[in-house]
Amino acid sequence: MTAPHPAAQLDPEAIRRLRELDPSGGNKLLERVVTAFSNSLDRLLPDLARAREGDTLDLNVVRHVSHTLKSSSASLGAMALSARCADIEAMARDGREQGLPEQLDAMLQDIQQVRVALAALL
Amino acid sequence: MLPPGQALDDLPPRPRVLLVDDDEVNLLLTAAALRERGFELTEASSGSEALSLLSTRTPDVVVLDALMPELDGFETCSLLRATPGFESLPVLMLTGLDDEASINRAYQAGATDFFVKSPQWSLLDGRLRYLLRSSRTRLELERSKAKLARAQDLARMGSFEWWRGVAGSFVISAEGLRVFGRGPQDRLDFIGVMRMVPADDRHVFLRLLRDVIAHTSVLVTDLPLTLPDGRQRVVHIEAEPEFSEQGAVSGYTGILQDVTDRRQAEDRIRQLAHFDALTGLPNRRQLIYRVERAIESARRGGHEVGLLLIDLDRFKVINDTLGHAAGDELLVEVGRRLRGCVRHSDQILEGVLDGLGNRSHRGLEAVGRLGGDEFVALLPEVTDERDAERVAQRVLDALREPIFVGGQECFVTASVGIALYPRDGQTMADLLRNSDVAMYAVKSQGRNASAVYSPQLAGHGKQKLELESALHKALERNEIVLHYQPKIDVRAARMVGAEALMRWQRGNVLVPPADFIPLAEETGLIVPLSEWALKEAARQAKLWSLQFGFSDSIAVNLPSRLFERTDLVEHIHQCVSAYGVPHRSIQLEITENNLMKDLQNVIPSLHRLNEVGVEISIDDFGTGYSSLAYLTTLPISEVKVDRTFVRDLGITPQSSAVVTAIIALARALGLRVIAEGVETLRQMEVLHRLGCSLMQGFLFSKPLPADELERWIAQTVLPRKAPWITQADGSSDLARGQR
Repeated sequence: MTAPHPAAQLDPEAIRRLRELDPSGGNKLLERVVTAFSNSLDRLLPDLARAREGDTLDLNVVRHVSHTLKSSSASLGAMALSARCADIEAMARDGREQGLPEQLDAMLQDIQQVRVALAALL
Repeated sequence: MLPPGQALDDLPPRPRVLLVDDDEVNLLLTAAALRERGFELTEASSGSEALSLLSTRTPDVVVLDALMPELDGFETCSLLRATPGFESLPVLMLTGLDDEASINRAYQAGATDFFVKSPQWSLLDGRLRYLLRSSRTRLELERSKAKLARAQDLARMGSFEWWRGVAGSFVISAEGLRVFGRGPQDRLDFIGVMRMVPADDRHVFLRLLRDVIAHTSVLVTDLPLTLPDGRQRVVHIEAEPEFSEQGAVSGYTGILQDVTDRRQAEDRIRQLAHFDALTGLPNRRQLIYRVERAIESARRGGHEVGLLLIDLDRFKVINDTLGHAAGDELLVEVGRRLRGCVRHSDQILEGVLDGLGNRSHRGLEAVGRLGGDEFVALLPEVTDERDAERVAQRVLDALREPIFVGGQECFVTASVGIALYPRDGQTMADLLRNSDVAMYAVKSQGRNASAVYSPQLAGHGKQKLELESALHKALERNEIVLHYQPKIDVRAARMVGAEALMRWQRGNVLVPPADFIPLAEETGLIVPLSEWALKEAARQAKLWSLQFGFSDSIAVNLPSRLFERTDLVEHIHQCVSAYGVPHRSIQLEITENNLMKDLQNVIPSLHRLNEVGVEISIDDFGTGYSSLAYLTTLPISEVKVDRTFVRDLGITPQSSAVVTAIIALARALGLRVIAEGVETLRQMEVLHRLGCSLMQGFLFSKPLPADELERWIAQTVLPRKAPWITQADGSSDLARGQR
C-alpha cells in the first residue's frame, strides 16, 4: 500500500464540524456543500485556465481563485489544498511570479485528490 | 424605548443576519452554522444583491465578505453607510487571517468590526451577539443623547468645554449655541460670547474668570448679555475644572442656562419684598435697610443723616368719606409728589454696598412708605438741620396743589417731623421715634408744618402719652364726672335748665377740660366720653325730677363727629328710656364752628333729633362766621351768645350791637337766646335791657357737682337771696312782654 496523496486526506475535525451542522443529515448539508464546492470549481477553474493562456499571467484572477478556494477547501477539511491556495494567494498579491505556475499545477492535482476524497464521503 | 419586559441587553429571539459572500461553499456553511445557532439568515452572493435586499428588509446585522468580484465588501459597506437609515446598522467584515490591509480598509469603509474567517462557528456566533449588544447600547446612548439634547433645549440649557493651551478648543454645544441665539452651524468663540456682554459686566466677569482659573475653583455666575436680535438675556454659567492624569488642570467643562425668566421672577419677588405694592415706594423693610446703611456711612464719613417723618393730616377723614379706593388713589399721588422732593433712587438695595465708591450713600436717598399715611424721606447726607427743613418745606409745598380723587378735589396737608443722626439718635429706631415726637408736636400746633426734634418736645410728648393712657382708664375708674352750670331766667329768677360739663377727677387733681378734651378729640376717646355723658345726664335728670321736680333739660356738649354717627338718636333713646325720662330732658350743644365744618353730615342727625324732641343749641354763637342764611334752614331751638361778646358788653358799643343783632335774628327765627359767661350785674342788666333774659355764668353759679347744685338751689335760688335776684326782680317789668 502506498501512502495516500496528502491532499486526499480530509481533516476529520473539519468533517466532524460539518456533520455537526446537520447531525441527522436531514438537510443533506454535506451533499450540498460538496456540490457547491464542485460548482465553484467548475466556475473558477476555466477562469484560471484562461488567465494562464496569455503571455502574461493574470494575477488578479489567480488571487481571486486561490482566495476563494483557500477558505472553501479549509471548510471541507482539505487543509493541504487550503495551505497551498494561501501560498498562491500571497504570491499573487505580492506579484511573485517565480514558481507560481508550478504551484498552480500542484494545486490542480490537489484539487483532483480532494474531489476523490469528497466523493468517498458521500 | 424598549418594549415592556425586555431588559436592556436582551437581543431579539432570532437576530436577523444578512450574509454576503461570493463563495458558495462559505455562504452555505456559514448560513447553516448561524441558523443552527439561532439566527435568521438571508443570503446574498454579491454586494449588489445585498444592497437590493436591504431596500426591502432591514436585518439586525450584516456579515460581509471583504473580497468579492465586482462590488467588493468595502465598496458595498460604503454604499450601505451612505444609505439613509443604515448609518449605524452593525456590519461585520469577514477577512483572511493574514490580511491586515483589509482590516484597515474595513474600518475606513464604515464596518463596525472585522472577523477572520474561521470554521469555528461559536466564535462568529459570539462576535455577532457582542456586536448586536453594543449596537443596542449605542442606539440607547444615541436616543439618550437626543433626549438630553431635547431636555437641554427645553430648559434652555447647553454645555461647553475649553481645553487649556489648545487653540480653538472653546466649544459650545448646539443647545448652548441656541441659548446664545445661534444656529447649530454658527461659529461662536469666546470673544464672540464676550462681545454680547455689556462692558461693565464683561470686566467683572473676566476678573472673576481669571480668579477662578488661577485658583482652579468652580465657576458659578450669571452673565447678562444682549443677543444679536437685541433681546436681553441672563445666562447662568457653571463650570468645573478637568484634570489630566498627572493631576494638572487641563481645562473646564460646564453648562450654561438661560435664566432670564427665573431672574425676572426673582426680581419681582424682591420688588414685592422691598417695595410698597400701592405706591411703588420702598417699604418699611427697605427703608430700615437704607437708613441703617446711611447711618453706617455717616459714622465713617462723619456727616449727618436727615430723617423726615411725613404724616398726612386727617387722612382718615378722606378715607372714611371718599372710600378706601379714593384714599389709595390719594396715597399714590402723594407718593409720586413726595418722590419728586428728593433725589429718589428706586434701586433695590440689599446685602453689602461695595465697589460703589465712598459716595455710594447718596444712592440711599429715597422716600418710602412706612404704612398707612406715614411716609419717610431719608436724606443720607445733610449739612445741618436747615438742609432737612428745606426738604420738609418742599414736601409741604408739593402737597399744596389739590389732588383730584374720587371725583373731587382734595386738599391734603402733612405734618413733618425731622430727626438728625447723630444728634437726635444713633439708630433707625431712635431717629424714627424722635421724628415721630417732632411730627406730633406739629400736629398739636395745628398741622401742615414741619418741626425739628428737640428733647423738650420729647418731654412734652411723654407727658401727653401718660395723659393719654390715663384718660383711657379714666372712664373705667369712674374718674370722669359731670358738673352742672345752671341756666337762669332772670325775669323769673329761676333755673330753667343746666349745662353738663365734663371734669376729670384724677386723684386729688381736677383736670380742667381744656387739658383733656382736645386730647380726647384727637385720640377719638371723645366718643365714648360723650356717650357716657349722655347717659349720665339722663340719670341726673331723673334724680333731680325725683328730688325737686326738675322738668327742664340738661344740655350735653357733643363734638360734630358724634352727630355724624347714625346711631346717635338710638343711643339717646336708650339713655332716656333707661331712666324713664322724656327725650326733651336731654339737650345737645354743638359749637357753631363744629356745626359749620361738617354741616352737610350733621344736618340729617339734627332733623331726627328734633323729631324725637331733643333740642339743639348752638354754642359759641357769633364766632363762626357762619352764613346766617343757614340758621333759617336748621332745626335748632337755641343760640348761645358767645362769652366774648358778653364780656365786652357795656365796654364796647360793637359788642352790644352784635348781641342786639343776634337777639333780633333769633327772635325773627323763633329761637331762644341765652348768654354765656355772665359775670357781673352790669352785663346782666345790659343783656336784659337788650331783650335777653336767659343767662349762664359765674354771676349765678360756677359749674357744680350735682349735689352742690341742689344745695345751691335750696340755699340761694329758693330763698331769693342773691344780689342778681333783687336786680332781676327790679327789672322784671322791663323784660316782661319782650318775650
